[in-house]
Amino acid sequence: MREWLGLLARLIVGGVWIVAGALKVTDPNTSIQAVKAYDLLPTSVVEPVGYLLPALELVVGLALVLGVMTRGAAAISALLFVAFIIGIASAWARGLEIDCGCFGGGGADPDAASKYPWEIARDVGLLALSGYLVWLRSSRLSLDAMLFRRTPDYDTEGA
Amino acid sequence: MATKKNKAAERAERAAALLREQKQRERRRNLITGGVVAAVLAGLVVVGILISRSGDVEAPTASDYGVAIGDPEADHQVVVYEDFLCPACGAFEEETNEEFEQLADDGQVYVEYRPFELLSSFGDYSARSVSAFGVVLEQSGPEVAKEFHDLLFEEQPEEGDEPYPDADWLVEKAVEAGAEEDAVRPGIEEGVTEFAEQATDEARDANVNSTPTVLLDGETFNGSVDELLDQVQE
Repeated sequence: MREWLGLLARLIVGGVWIVAGALKVTDPNTSIQAVKAYDLLPTSVVEPVGYLLPALELVVGLALVLGVMTRGAAAISALLFVAFIIGIASAWARGLEIDCGCFGGGGADPDAASKYPWEIARDVGLLALSGYLVWLRSSRLSLDAMLFRRTPDYDTEGA
Repeated sequence: MATKKNKAAERAERAAALLREQKQRERRRNLITGGVVAAVLAGLVVVGILISRSGDVEAPTASDYGVAIGDPEADHQVVVYEDFLCPACGAFEEETNEEFEQLADDGQVYVEYRPFELLSSFGDYSARSVSAFGVVLEQSGPEVAKEFHDLLFEEQPEEGDEPYPDADWLVEKAVEAGAEEDAVRPGIEEGVTEFAEQATDEARDANVNSTPTVLLDGETFNGSVDELLDQVQE
């Protein structure tokens, strides 16, 4: 049962990452502007992060959906969500009104403040699912099960 | 009995040794597979970044759809893609317009403004204003067009706040900028012109899809306005 829940968690979190990454990967300028809008990173880091994030999101999403390196991908996914939660919370606390840039877009958004709680709640939920996948170790229909075989620990003492 | 027990123990030992060996082989194999899979995933991230990079802004050095100030041979070249309706462009103009005029006069920078229609989802002002800019540029020349550009930003309507200023208002601003009313009125009353479409196509082809997009010496500039002005004066 747990292993099926793991599959569901993989599909949800992975699906979200794939959509988020795919919407941004072809539009680096918007991605860079979105990162810049948070006003948290030094200028020299904004650009590499703007290029890296969409690609990383896409690959983490693919890995989760396929179930390759699931625990590693889930750990990166969890770290990213922690970073996004901090980013959004800090924008909110500083009174910035910006589009989170989660699914493309980014920059100023006059209605942003009303969206922050929901965005944080969503990311907390996805963070919880990512954490669950790290803890779970293995889930149904994953490539990991095919790639990495493990002989179970028989009790070799024969007792 | 004793020998039987011994034999059983030996068998168990052999089985355990085999299992250990198998597990060791498995560990080694899993490690190699893991390394290969990790490398493939890392490779995919790199491919993703390369795809992103191919979406970089590659602006043509000269455009028929803009207006420039300063000496083209100045130390620094700035290109600004903007939309007359975009609030961030309005803010950018407010912070840089006079500074750039001054720096261009001093020969430190050449600034080319390239308006195009980005915000079509917020009504027709974006397209009509670029069209009017084109009419003024064609009928009254770049200096009047630059002045018209400045006026449109100084008195920028709010994004989404319809009804937007009409053709009469645009004509009025063009005249204020120094255009002859008879020369620009027919063109501006046409509404959306081919100029706007072509300017927008050119911007799209250059991968510009947000405004303001600022290029400093050919590279997209992502820093703050202060950093931009500092770098131009270096």
